[in-house]
Amino acid sequence: MSTATDVPAGTKLVDQPSAKWFLISSVVFFAITTFVGLLLSLKFIWPEFMGSAPWLTFGRVRPLHVNGVLFGWLLAADIGLLFYVVPRICGNRLWSEKLGIATVVLFDLIILSAVYTTLSGTTQGLEYAELPFALDVGVTLAWVMFGVNIFMTIATRKHEKLYVSLWYTMGAIVWTAFVYISGNFATLFQKGIGQANLNWFYVHNAVGLIFTPLGLALAYYFIPLASNRPLFSHKLSMIGFWSIAFIYVWTGAHHMLHGPISQWLQTVAILFSVMLIIPVWTVITNFYGTVSGHWDRVKASPILKYLMAGTTFYLLTCFQGPMHSLRTVNAIVSKTDWIPGHAHMAVLGAFSFFAIGGTLWSLPRITGRPIHSDALANRSFWLMLWGGLIYFVSLWVGGFMQGLQWNDTSIPWVDTVMSMKPYYVARALGGALIFAGVVAFLYNVFRSLGRPEQEGAPAATSTSPAAG
Amino acid sequence: MPANPLAKTDRSAMALFLAATAFFFVGGLMTTVVPALTEDAWSKPVAGLRPLTEQEQRGRDIYKREGCWYCHTQQVRTLEADVKRFGWRGVDAPISTPGEYVNDSPHLLGTRRIGPDLSRVGGKYDRSWHLTHFRNPRDLVPGSIMPPFPWLTDRDGGKEFEDLLAYIQTLGRATDWRPQKDYEK
Repeated sequence: MSTATDVPAGTKLVDQPSAKWFLISSVVFFAITTFVGLLLSLKFIWPEFMGSAPWLTFGRVRPLHVNGVLFGWLLAADIGLLFYVVPRICGNRLWSEKLGIATVVLFDLIILSAVYTTLSGTTQGLEYAELPFALDVGVTLAWVMFGVNIFMTIATRKHEKLYVSLWYTMGAIVWTAFVYISGNFATLFQKGIGQANLNWFYVHNAVGLIFTPLGLALAYYFIPLASNRPLFSHKLSMIGFWSIAFIYVWTGAHHMLHGPISQWLQTVAILFSVMLIIPVWTVITNFYGTVSGHWDRVKASPILKYLMAGTTFYLLTCFQGPMHSLRTVNAIVSKTDWIPGHAHMAVLGAFSFFAIGGTLWSLPRITGRPIHSDALANRSFWLMLWGGLIYFVSLWVGGFMQGLQWNDTSIPWVDTVMSMKPYYVARALGGALIFAGVVAFLYNVFRSLGRPEQEGAPAATSTSPAAG
Repeated sequence: MPANPLAKTDRSAMALFLAATAFFFVGGLMTTVVPALTEDAWSKPVAGLRPLTEQEQRGRDIYKREGCWYCHTQQVRTLEADVKRFGWRGVDAPISTPGEYVNDSPHLLGTRRIGPDLSRVGGKYDRSWHLTHFRNPRDLVPGSIMPPFPWLTDRDGGKEFEDLLAYIQTLGRATDWRPQKDYEK
């Protein structure tokens, strides 16, 4: 593997304002929306916390946290990183920086409007699809603008061969468009169980066909570079990509197991959920295989720590998922606190960790300013890792106990609520550590932006794991 | 090198685009469009189902606005635990069927039970119980973590509470599941 491209060594590839502003915007929303999550976790301990103003109650603030983290932070960070990564792999520049800047402005306007609509109770009443119709149109437009920019960059590429990150990126752009339309527009034409089925199709594929391929596109790019190792296996990456493209979309109905939905749909969802082990384990083997034998580099690099911890959480999340979809396991964990434990491991532990690692790698190369402090980056990693583990484990243990209690109908409902208290306290503590880690990350990013530009900063090289 | 039908996608963005779209549509159509066309039960109402009155619909909008559905499901699953737990006074709760939901948009089946399922709550508690409970749930259920909703009960003479109550009292009534007809008002 080499890191050569057509751009001569020493050429500065700065002036990537679209990537930079998406990253800055995403990091700010990361801190805000994580803080909102922390406030919510305290309501489980003190239900009257934050008083009883309508706009500060759980039912209004929860969608702000969920949509804010998913769209304001993670999707924006993924877009910003792809604005950086895709031109690097293609050996050219982003097709249109102007379009990119327009995209970030539109995107931020949507997020700020969404803060107002969620807190005021303006909602479509569907999970992940709470935003009102006008904002849905805005999101669709922003996605088309992003997609056009990326596809045109790829169409005008200098390297013919499409590195695996580009497959995932293109797949994600196409799938996201259809998934988003199914969840936000097609649902308008359905009622009852048909609508619920579409809603779960959307919710599940929002994670499976939006955040998974975007996150894997980034991990496939950053892991070989940050470890300075060639990708373990091209063939495995093909198996992983095409199997996820085929399998993931069938699994939405596993959110309604034992519910009022056709048995054949439930069974199909279970079968395909279990088959997801194929793409996940091929991807994981590829990532671990890339770094195998060079784990000392992980110890030395906060970027690799984030990427490899993200890989491990991806493996664990995607082992839990198929297990939850088994009818017997589902009868215990479904609808319990286990599920938020699982969801946070996917969104925070896997995909946010990929995005943070990518941000720490890219930002110096975009701005010509090195990261303020590696030690601080390490500290933020450990805070998020321990906070995350406390969060996940407390909800798994608590949620499992909760499920067992629900299945013993001699226990009154409210007793099952009260028995969760110690787990809720532990979860809030974990949340506080995560938030502290995010603040450290935010501070590090902003201190880095404030540094003077440096000759010989990492920006001086153009790199692609695919080149050569 | 063995022939690989997808090898072209390694170099052609268009081939990759088309293949990725096709893969998606196979599963997408099979799991969303096909059942919507073939599952008659999804659009056939149960016998006792009637459209919501204007007041009940306003109440449903409040239920949606306040995010009640984040903490309360509306589905009795095919599990003995659900049937027993959400039954009442010795009568099992009937399992939820698609026909009960045909008028629902947005559907409010829910995904989490921070509080109990509500699909059979209609008629379990009377008006004064709900009024007290919405003002402060812990007055009636010590240990509950449900938020108080004083703006529903006290603003405009509690108009929003009355609307929400009217909606809540419809939940599960289409199945008319209580042999003694002992529904509270």
